[in-house]
Amino acid sequence: MSNLGQFDSDFYQSNYTIDNQEQSSEDSNAYGHVYGSRKQQASEQPQPVFVPSEMLMSSGCEGQFFQPASNPDYYSQSSYVDSFDEEPPLLEELGINFDHIWQKTLTVLNPLKPADGSIMNETDLTGPILFCITLGATLLLAGKAQFGYVYGMSALGCLGIHTLLNLMSSSGASYGCVASVLGYCLLPMVLLSICAVFSSLQGTFGTVLALVIVGWCSLSASKIFSSALGMKGQQLLIAYPCALLYGLFALLTVF
Amino acid sequence: MADPHQLFDDTSSAQSRGYGAQRAPSGLGYPAPSASPQAAFLADPVSNMAMAYGSSLAAQGKELVDKNIDRFVPVTKLKYYFAVDTMYVGKKLGLLFFPYLHQDWEVQYQQDTPVAPRFDINAPDLYIPAMAFITYVLVAGLALGTQDRFSPDLLGLQASSALAWLTLEVLAILLSLYLVTVNTDLTTIDLVAFLGYKYVGMIGGVLMGLLFGKIGYYLVLGWCCVSIFVFMIRTLRLKILAEAAAEGVPVRGARNQLRMYLTMAVAAAQPLLMYWLTFHLVR
Repeated sequence: MSNLGQFDSDFYQSNYTIDNQEQSSEDSNAYGHVYGSRKQQASEQPQPVFVPSEMLMSSGCEGQFFQPASNPDYYSQSSYVDSFDEEPPLLEELGINFDHIWQKTLTVLNPLKPADGSIMNETDLTGPILFCITLGATLLLAGKAQFGYVYGMSALGCLGIHTLLNLMSSSGASYGCVASVLGYCLLPMVLLSICAVFSSLQGTFGTVLALVIVGWCSLSASKIFSSALGMKGQQLLIAYPCALLYGLFALLTVF
Repeated sequence: MADPHQLFDDTSSAQSRGYGAQRAPSGLGYPAPSASPQAAFLADPVSNMAMAYGSSLAAQGKELVDKNIDRFVPVTKLKYYFAVDTMYVGKKLGLLFFPYLHQDWEVQYQQDTPVAPRFDINAPDLYIPAMAFITYVLVAGLALGTQDRFSPDLLGLQASSALAWLTLEVLAILLSLYLVTVNTDLTTIDLVAFLGYKYVGMIGGVLMGLLFGKIGYYLVLGWCCVSIFVFMIRTLRLKILAEAAAEGVPVRGARNQLRMYLTMAVAAAQPLLMYWLTFHLVR
């Protein structure tokens, strides 16, 4: 069908202008085909830059819409499909893209490489939550069931850093952005707590290791914040409160 | 049109066209339902309208909160006090520990508004007091922990008692400024900033006390007390005293004497409070 090919190319570029081209008279066959072709393209589709992403779980949620079969003006296409086989995989629906999470983790973990500011365009909370759960689990392995403290401190810390960043920078940071960066930079703390499982960290070596890890976490977090929010000459000033926050986590891990 | 797979009658084409246009740019997307009853529920035009209403209500609520927060907490004024950079913080900390060689204590102005702290070391800021306060609470927790007297609610107790003393100080000074009828451009936030600088000395004292025992604590605290006394006198002199007296020319008159006593009282209260808030942390 002629309109189908047109549909495919338009779909790849943007999800919102499709309704201009869609015909109102399409039968279910067309939807089946559309869905199949959409699945092929889903793997190559880049993460859209999503402004109101905080309203949903994560920004990877490409505008999937459901609408009645004959309401094409609503959104681009119907995705409430009749057949169970043609719906997208669960991870894609939830917007959890493991490859992306891995790339962001690698970027975050190298504190010496200058970061680009565009990393903050998509707030993705899946990675951070995964790291928090891993931290709680490794603490549990070491015998401390302190999930509540981990979550409480991370929530309060995110709130505090969000307030400070909004006051210090000319362009404010959204809460999701702050939570995402702080969560990604929590990964070295997970390494510290894994070390705590094998040997007690209360000696000199443990203190030095904890200090190094806290420095690593806060340097990467402040590097990302200062490059994403355009704050000049304030990286150390941002690193200090982040170091205080990660120091609290280190206290939790060591003692 | 008769679509055999359609689950309900298409009653919404007319109205959906209307707010379909405004819904599309709002960018709300939903995950595809796997079962048709969910689809029927969420595709139902009434629930779509409800969702549109809910999202607009949320946006309105956020606007309302922002407007009201601006009334109680002057965010733009606060932003001035946080416009700092690393050089300023370093130099200011040096000044707090060693104010004896600094000559010019006047805040520079730029067309009636004071210059941002980033550009003038004499301008007060809120970053150092805020960070010093939080660090003080954490260091107090650390000190209590090394003496095996730590529990998380003690941290909260320390934080709230320090905050209560700060509030009391600010109120007392505001009251005395009002009673002495001083015409000064010392705002409340400025006052909070100046009074918050003593936490830096307190942190130094407690850390030295942790490392070197009581001798170290008393030495460093003594040094910081004298420094903050000099710092406060030199800073407040310019704000509270009249112009002539500030330049060093002694002006006779009961009013100026009263103002000088007030400045000295404020400056003398700082070492006292520094000792009061830290001596129980170092054994």
